[in-house]
Amino acid sequence: MELNSLKDAFDRVAKKQKLSFSKTQEVMDLIFQEIEKAIEMMQSTTFDYKSVLAELKKKLHEIAPLSQLEGTQKELNIALSKYPKALEKILNPDISKAYRNIEFDSNTVNQIIASHFYRLGLFDVGDCFINETGEAEAAVAMRSLFQEMYQMLEAMKSRNLEPALKWAAVNSDKLKENGSDLQLKLHHLQFVKILQKGSRDEALKYARTNFAPFAANHMAEIQKLMGCLLYSDRLQDSPYAHLLSPTNWDVVAEELTRQFCNLLGQSYESPLNVTIAAGVQGLPPLLKFMTVMAGKKQEWQSMKQLPVPVELDKEFQFHPIFVCPVSKEQSTDDNPPMLMSCGHVLCKQSINKMSKNSSKSFKCPYCPSDIDATQCRQLNF
Amino acid sequence: MEIDPLPNGSGSVGTTIPEAAATTTAATAALKTTPSSKLSQLTESLKLEHQLLRVPFEHYKKTIRANHRAVEKEVSSVISSVADVADCNEPSKEDAVLNLTSLVSRLQGLKRKLEEGSRTENLQAQRCRARLDHLESVDAENLSEWNNVRLKRILVDYMLRMSYYDTAMKLAESSNIQDLVDIDVFQEAKKVIDALRNQEVGPALAWCVDNKSRLKKSKSKFEFQLRLQEFIELVRAENHMRAILYARRHLAPWGATHLKELQRVMATLAFRSNTGCAKYKVLFEPKQWDFLVDQFKQEFCRLYGMTLEPLLNIYLQAGLSALKTPYCYEDDCTKEDPLSQDSFRKLALPLPYSKQHHSKLVCYITKELMDTENPPQVLPNGYVYSTKALKEMAEKNNGTITCPRTGLVCNYSELVKAYIS
Ligand SMILES: [Zn+2]
Ligand SMILES: [Zn+2]
Repeated sequence: MELNSLKDAFDRVAKKQKLSFSKTQEVMDLIFQEIEKAIEMMQSTTFDYKSVLAELKKKLHEIAPLSQLEGTQKELNIALSKYPKALEKILNPDISKAYRNIEFDSNTVNQIIASHFYRLGLFDVGDCFINETGEAEAAVAMRSLFQEMYQMLEAMKSRNLEPALKWAAVNSDKLKENGSDLQLKLHHLQFVKILQKGSRDEALKYARTNFAPFAANHMAEIQKLMGCLLYSDRLQDSPYAHLLSPTNWDVVAEELTRQFCNLLGQSYESPLNVTIAAGVQGLPPLLKFMTVMAGKKQEWQSMKQLPVPVELDKEFQFHPIFVCPVSKEQSTDDNPPMLMSCGHVLCKQSINKMSKNSSKSFKCPYCPSDIDATQCRQLNF
Repeated sequence: MEIDPLPNGSGSVGTTIPEAAATTTAATAALKTTPSSKLSQLTESLKLEHQLLRVPFEHYKKTIRANHRAVEKEVSSVISSVADVADCNEPSKEDAVLNLTSLVSRLQGLKRKLEEGSRTENLQAQRCRARLDHLESVDAENLSEWNNVRLKRILVDYMLRMSYYDTAMKLAESSNIQDLVDIDVFQEAKKVIDALRNQEVGPALAWCVDNKSRLKKSKSKFEFQLRLQEFIELVRAENHMRAILYARRHLAPWGATHLKELQRVMATLAFRSNTGCAKYKVLFEPKQWDFLVDQFKQEFCRLYGMTLEPLLNIYLQAGLSALKTPYCYEDDCTKEDPLSQDSFRKLALPLPYSKQHHSKLVCYITKELMDTENPPQVLPNGYVYSTKALKEMAEKNNGTITCPRTGLVCNYSELVKAYIS
């Protein structure tokens, strides 16, 4: 993007402002000096004070301070009017053009926001918000849910694994059910931590008591970890140096967050975060459409489906979407995707059309096969 | 015990902790692999940031103009004072010197004011720059952090517009984004809004005077609306003489452009505040003051180049529509989808569904995209899963497949590939 041209335009404003400031100062100093000089002359007896006054008046008239300022002021004004024009040209000056005039229920929005703060561990901000809005108390439930998680994460930041280990032990069965080896990962960190302190015996003892339950499924890793014992006093210079990387802690913290949310029945990402990120991706094509279809503003307010395709990144894909390659329509319960005998898939309406309501066979649009509509099977993605 | 001399990460089973490189988020990883589309996406998203750059600039401009006006006024008044002294018929020498000396100290005061004003201007210029720098700073490495900041900015904007000032400040401070939000701009609005909530129009009228030329340019009738309300209050207090005087002075000038409204309000003189006539009764309702507050917010936002709606609402609407599918309101909508939550569903209800041009099939089991690399396969009952998921299942269960949604058991060999174009 042309950010540089914006910066240049702004630099011009700032430069002209400085210029105007110093010019103003200069002019004021001039007035200042003239008056001081006049006072001095009036106080000496050599001059007639009245003529000094008249002279001062004349001088100030000649200096014409205000018209002196005009020039720099004019330049400043030009720069001041150019910058916003550049902003409007390079950026989108009105991102509300695709906004539908519907009132969001503010109580619902506030509840979402309060929950978001608690999810992020911004407990003070969340409390302050609930206080200030006097509503959204429903979100307080989120507070206590997530407090436990942030206590574990905070402890991990100061390299204390106790709360996390305790939680993982209590939920060990559920974690296993979800296919997570978080518990072993935590033990792993603890083991390295003990080893780092240089106490090999203690590390060995720790490994014996804690790794055993994982031996069946994770033998290879456990063996590698035990290899560390050889280097207990110089781990940072050993082939195991990477085990000391602080990123390992971040990775486990992320896994802990994921598993914690999962067991709570919560999403991993804050839903507000996801929605706004989707909005940032979805808005540009909508705005473009609005610019082109300025006349359809009224229709837009009542459309049941967006008028333009909005392609979101994969992480926003929560449902399988089938678009019939013939009709370009999205499948619905009434118009489901159908598998033809050749393996190609069309939606039911397209097949009905091509087979004249199953009265005749037709050619698959994508291969030479003859298709019998009655042999097509409905698909469930 | 077997000792592996080179234990470099081995992600084969996945317990060993991956190294630093593996921790980059999916978003940034994608950014590296498909730079062109991702970059254009990023550029598009930066184009949405007009308000971020515009508001501090309008603030800056306003300060510059105000400071300049103050200087002009003072300087011309000093010059005319000198002329007064000089033109005075019989000034004593002492008086003249005294007068000039006081002008000198006045000029000194002006100079101090000028310097102070310039400091404010510089601070505001710095803020404008900080925002430009912030837009420039985003890249593949810090994208997710930058996005987090964006959401916080959007939330502070919401707080300020809804008059949740404490939360706005707390959030800005705790995230250290004071330079990226417009708390000080809204301080100006707060004074006016608080007064209007107390049914005082004074600060609002003063604000109108301050921004006279720009309000005129946008054909604003906010001042007229304030005047009408003041008139109504006089009628309510049965202060009829004053009401008429007030109308002559403050309402009459708007007659040329807003005659109908003017006449309607004047008619209240005949009906009084306890009128049963709906058309006039409404003018006396307290919600007229709320209306003025809303009106002020609109004028205020327009003047500073802000969107009239909170940014949060704009992005929420776009995001909800982009995410909304007909399946979102069904029970099996995954919890990772915001639209699986009642609050989000409620907001999305009046919004349109998303539209897509191409099929995007996500495997029910692995949640991964099914494409030519990982094609969809059909069970005898018509349920479709990814090859990857089914293969894994078959390997674990001697070639037997169990449909996770219907319980149907079949053999891997009974599956048929589906071709999705
Ligand atoms: Zn075919
Ligand atoms: Zn959904």
